[in-house]
Order: sequence, then structure tokens, then C-alpha cells
Amino acid sequence: MSITTTKADDRPRVDPEDQVMRVRGVTLRFGGLVGLSDVALDLHRGEILAVIGPNGAGKTSLFNSLTGMYVPQEGSIVLRDRAGGEHSLKGRKPHLVNRLGVARTFQNIRLFGALTALENVKIAAETRQKAGPVSIMLGLPNARREDRESDRRALELLHFVGLDGLLNELAASLSYGQQRSLEIARALATDPQVLLLDEPAAGTNPTEKLDLEVLIRRINRELGISVLLIEHDMRLVMSVADRVTVLNFGKVIASGSPAEVQRNPEVVAAYLGAEMAAEMVAASDAEAADGSDGTVPAQRDGEEQR
Amino acid sequence: MSTTTKERDLAPTGSALARLRTKRWYQQPMFGRLVGTVAAAVLLDVMSGPQGSREDVFFSLDKTLGSLRVVWWIIGAVALWAILEFAKPLYNRYLAASVGPLERFHAPVTGPVKGLIAQTRTTSANLRRILWVRIGFSAVVIGLLILLPNVLSTFWNQVLVNEVAIYVLLAIGLNVVIGWAGLLDLGFIAFFAIGAYSTAYWTGAMPVEPPFTLNAFLVIPVAVGTCLLAGLLLGAPTLRLRGDYLAIVTLGFHEIIYLIAKNADGFTNGPRGVQGISNFGVHIGVLDYDWELDPVPYWYLLIGIATILIIAFLRLEHSRVGRAWTAIREDEVAASATGVPTVKFKLMAFAIGASTSGIAGVVYASKARFISPESFLLLFSVLVVAYVIFGGMGSLWGVIIGTAFLAWLPQYMKDWVNPNDRFMYLGALLIVMMIYRPQGLIPSVRRKRELSMAKAGLGDADAMSEPAGGRMT
Repeated sequence: MSITTTKADDRPRVDPEDQVMRVRGVTLRFGGLVGLSDVALDLHRGEILAVIGPNGAGKTSLFNSLTGMYVPQEGSIVLRDRAGGEHSLKGRKPHLVNRLGVARTFQNIRLFGALTALENVKIAAETRQKAGPVSIMLGLPNARREDRESDRRALELLHFVGLDGLLNELAASLSYGQQRSLEIARALATDPQVLLLDEPAAGTNPTEKLDLEVLIRRINRELGISVLLIEHDMRLVMSVADRVTVLNFGKVIASGSPAEVQRNPEVVAAYLGAEMAAEMVAASDAEAADGSDGTVPAQRDGEEQR
Repeated sequence: MSTTTKERDLAPTGSALARLRTKRWYQQPMFGRLVGTVAAAVLLDVMSGPQGSREDVFFSLDKTLGSLRVVWWIIGAVALWAILEFAKPLYNRYLAASVGPLERFHAPVTGPVKGLIAQTRTTSANLRRILWVRIGFSAVVIGLLILLPNVLSTFWNQVLVNEVAIYVLLAIGLNVVIGWAGLLDLGFIAFFAIGAYSTAYWTGAMPVEPPFTLNAFLVIPVAVGTCLLAGLLLGAPTLRLRGDYLAIVTLGFHEIIYLIAKNADGFTNGPRGVQGISNFGVHIGVLDYDWELDPVPYWYLLIGIATILIIAFLRLEHSRVGRAWTAIREDEVAASATGVPTVKFKLMAFAIGASTSGIAGVVYASKARFISPESFLLLFSVLVVAYVIFGGMGSLWGVIIGTAFLAWLPQYMKDWVNPNDRFMYLGALLIVMMIYRPQGLIPSVRRKRELSMAKAGLGDADAMSEPAGGRMT
């Protein structure tokens, strides 16, 4: 994959009125434990929104609620298609949520390990096809045509994520970074409007992180897909995200541009503990005055995880 | 630093830990297998020995364990163990150099297909050649199978039709459910019974008169439809269950069908069974033929049906449906997040399996001309599952060959062991098989990978082993 550095100005204009996903008052309880409490979130069409927060803040619970794996007790999750039609996602079965155009990847990679890379992507591409078992068993032309189509589509996407040479390798035998890319390709094969990436950079090396950064931008720009991103790597978040939402203890504590959020004392407190917060804010202010971009919390976070 | 000292007190020291970790020679798995094999042999010895006697409590044990018999059994078990354990390393050490590596004799089943051409199915000359070789090979095999009855006695021709062919048909169907979709179905013979009773009903042999009678051939689509419906009716509410739970439900379904057949006297004629089911026959224009007592024409008919089903199922395996089944089997949560409607595909597998079982039921009823509830015992359901697992779940050829072998074996053993003990030997064979080759006779490529991945701790071998509520991220 060729690494093309894109300038920040290339970003398409995001219309804040055109929300592709609108989350309001989502509350999720596991018995007495509150996983999410009154979470509100807007994903504008064509933007990259990062969701950050300390471990256990409810980020993955939020993703599971958005994709139908958990059913939140309260609140609404609405997906708006390009024509402006609104679809409620709450309580919908995961495969139906996917059909509406919300695809996701998993924090702990969940590929079909005994299948090849190509087959993994084909499965996703084929979920939109219509040929039934009877026409497949009879070998009717429409079944054959659809099979060729899914082949083509899968090859295209494997090329897009840079796995051309590995299409016949078993998914389980790929390297960690390649598995991440393959999972993204599989998610893309379902033609989503919204792509949910759950810690795509976890466990990848610095080169793979750079590739990933480029890939996320390309997904956003070339394919026009809105991206919702959970990530711990602050450098990646700050460089790729248009906006950042911070979760802590299941609540949204801050939301805004990366720079704004970074400066928010509540966010710093959530990451570092209240005592150090004031100190850190002062320090980052001083650094900002020096002209550097102030990535101190990012480094701290890197130490914190696992 | 009080915690660390505490830990040091409690934790074993370095050398003790090393001692704990090293395995004694007898703790190695191969000796576990030896113990298992010998135990099975001793058990077989006791069970196949003479019956007990009222006069002498220890008569049976004395005759089995107290005689030279048991020694032979143990020697046999140790020999079997030694062959299975040491044949491969010895071959590799002494013969591999001159004869070539062992892998040479295997079909290249491991490892993915290399090259873009094979996967994208671009019609290249090479690919076409492979296709023709395959067609030629299949034609030769079918030709040999057609000629097979000529070299066998009538008894073996009966076995070929009643046992081997019918069970192979059943196993092909169950392979879809267990092998591909990963659903444990312990009530597969229920659909067989539905197919058989449909034949009895539509040919007018049941106490209840049908609106019009059908030729046995025309019953096939009707039975397929009935079984499809029964499969959907059973599957729709139960396929949300997984693994063990589904197995129990299907077990219950089998019992329900069996008890209906047994107790609905007015409809099924109860335990007396149904007699005089009409045979297959073709009466179109100049074609005028009836299948009668001779088993050979049924053999040809079954070869035809099986060939059609095999072609259809092979297509299914390598299509979006087959891939979706694999996805569901491997990781149901990921599959549904990828947009695979899991319940729909499971239902599809269930219904396809059920209708195959129905076809087998039609042929069986029409061949035997007599069916009773005793033809549909739970034992047969369990046997088909065992055959499929023995052959290699998910591998169509493995399932066919394994089932043919296991259906033939009890008949063959009839002459040289006590006929009542036959299934015991079958059980012993299955145990040895599961110890040494859990993937089955000819394992499917995908299943084999899954099994080796599960060994390496990279996931479950099966959707069957998932917890009831499923796994969440």
C-alpha cells in the first residue's frame, strides 16, 4: 500500500446538520451495574469521530448497543440514510443493523480463522446477494454470476486494504496487523454508511499504525464512509479524528475538536486522576504557548493500557 | 514490600516449579492412550465372554479375566496402540529416505490453494484439465459401483441397499446439519420416519385413505416438502438454542414422532406397522418398469439419487450458503455482525438435512413395503451421528466412505463374533477412532484447520461448544 500523506485541508466539508447517526439518552444496565448512562452522540455524515475514555468507560458497550448486540434499556439510536429516511437501530438484530449500513470490527479480532482471507471478505459481500439454496444447487446462471461478483468485490477490497498478495492465506495465519486490515475489509464488504472501528491500532507496530492511519483516512475520503473510532493511541486519534467524544463511567464527559478535548480539565482528570489534572493543564498550556502540540496525556495513556 | 515476601513464601521455588512442570514418562499423553486402549480391551473381553451363571457368581469373570483370553486381548490392544503410536515416527526414520515422505500418500488437503486463478475461477486450460480429471474419476467410480452387485451374493446386495445405501443417503443429509452448520441433531431419523410414513399414506397403505394415491416416485417431492415443513416447524423455535440444548430438543422431537407412530393407531396402524406399501414404478408411454423384490434395481436408483444430491451439496458447500454456515459455526457473533442472518441459514441447513432424510425414508418404505415404529428407533439416529463423526464431519467423501464402512462392518462381523455383540465392537472402534483421529476418517479441510486451531487455543473447534448464551466481545 502506498502511503500518501494527505493534508488536513483535503477533508470534505462536513455538514453538522446532516447526521448519519443520532444517539440520544442511551442507558444500558447489566443488572445493577450501569454500563452506559444517558449517552448522547452525533455522527455527522462524512466525518471521523473518535470515542475515547479510560478502560471500562463503556466504549465497547456503546458499540455493542449501536450494532444490536446489546439492547439498551432507554434511549434512541437513529440511523439516517442519504435520502433522509430514519431507522431506529435500538433492539434490531445485529445482521439487520448491518444491512442498514452499520459495519463494525472487534476489539479482539474475530475473523473466521479457518477460512482464507478472500473467503472472509466474500462472506460479507455475499450477505447482500439473493441467490437461494435451490438455484445454487441447480447451478443456475444467477448463482454463478453472484459468485463471480462477490469474488470481484472481495478482491477489490483486499486490494484497497493492501492484502492483495495474501488472499489465499488462512485468516488465522496472518500477522496481527494484517488481521486488523482483513477485518476492516470484511466490514467494508457490506457497503456500510457507518464504520465502527473498535481499537483498530491495538497491538500493531508503529509502521502498521501509520498504514492504518492512511487507511482510515482513505475509507473516509475515497469511500465516503463515516467512521466511529474507539482508540487508545492518542497520536492516532488526534491526527485522524475530526471530533472526539470522551466517555468515563458510562457518561459523556466531553465532546469537541481534538484540541479542545485535550485541554478539557475533566478529560485530563479522567485519565490521570484529579490531583494531577490541574498540573497537567498548566503544563500543556505552557507547551501550547511554546508551539508544540501537547501530546502529554497521550503518552500517559500509552503506559496505562495493559 | 510485604506482599512480595508473602508470595515468595507461598510460591514454589524455582526447582520445585520446574519439577512440577516436567511430566513424568507415564504422564505423557501416549501412555494415557495406552491405558485407555487396554481398558477398552479388557472391557471388550468381559463383555464378549460367556454369560454369567446362577450357580457360580464368578463364572463369567473367571472365564474371561481368569483365562488366557484376556492376555490375548491385552496383547492385541498393546499391539494396536504400538502401531498407532510408532508407525509414523518409525516410517519417518527408516523408510522416509528411500520411499519418500509420508505426506506423499495424502491428498494435499492442508494448506490453502495457491494462486489467484484457482480461487477466482477464471477458466484456464489447467483448471479445465483438473475438472475433466475429476469427472473422469467420478465416472469410473460410479461405473464400478454399478457393476458391484454382479460380484456379490443376494444377501450382500440386500445389505448394500438396505444398510449401506440408505445410511449413506442419511449421512449425506446429516452432514449438512452437523458437519457444515454445526448443529447437533440427535433426532435425524424422525424425518426419515416422516418420509416413510408419507410414502405409506400417499400410496394408500395406511388405515387413512389419501385424497388420491401417488406413484412412489411422485411421493419423493411430497415427502421432501413435508420434511421441509417439519424441519422448519421444529427448527424455527429451537434453533436459537445451541449445542447441547438443541441436541436435547431434537432428541425429544424424535421421541414424539416415534410415539405418534406407535400410538396413533387409527392413523399409523400403531405398533403393528403398515403393510403393502407400493414399490417404485415407471409407467410413461413405452417405459414400463416396476421395482420389485430384487435389490439391484434399488441400488441403481439409490446411486442416481445420491449422485444428484452429492453434486447439489458440493455446489452448496462452495457457495455463499456453505461459507455462511462455516462463518456461523466458527463465530456466530462475528457472523451476525457481518450481516449473516444466522437463524435463517441454520434453518436452511436443518430443512435441507430433513428433506434428504425424507428422501431416504421414501426409498426405504417403498423398498421394504413394510414399516413399523421399530424401524425408527432412537438407536438409528445415534448411529447416523456416529457414522458422520467417524467419517469426518463436514467432509462429504469422508462421510460417505465412513458410513459405507460402518454400515457394512456389523453385517460382516455377524459370521465371526456373537451377533449380539456387534454394536459393542462398533463402539470400541469409535472410541479408538476418537482417541487417535478425532477429525474423522477423511477430515474436511476447514474442520481440520478448526480442530488444530482449537488445540492451539485459538478458538473453539465448533459452535457446538459455545456457551448457551453465546459469547460477547
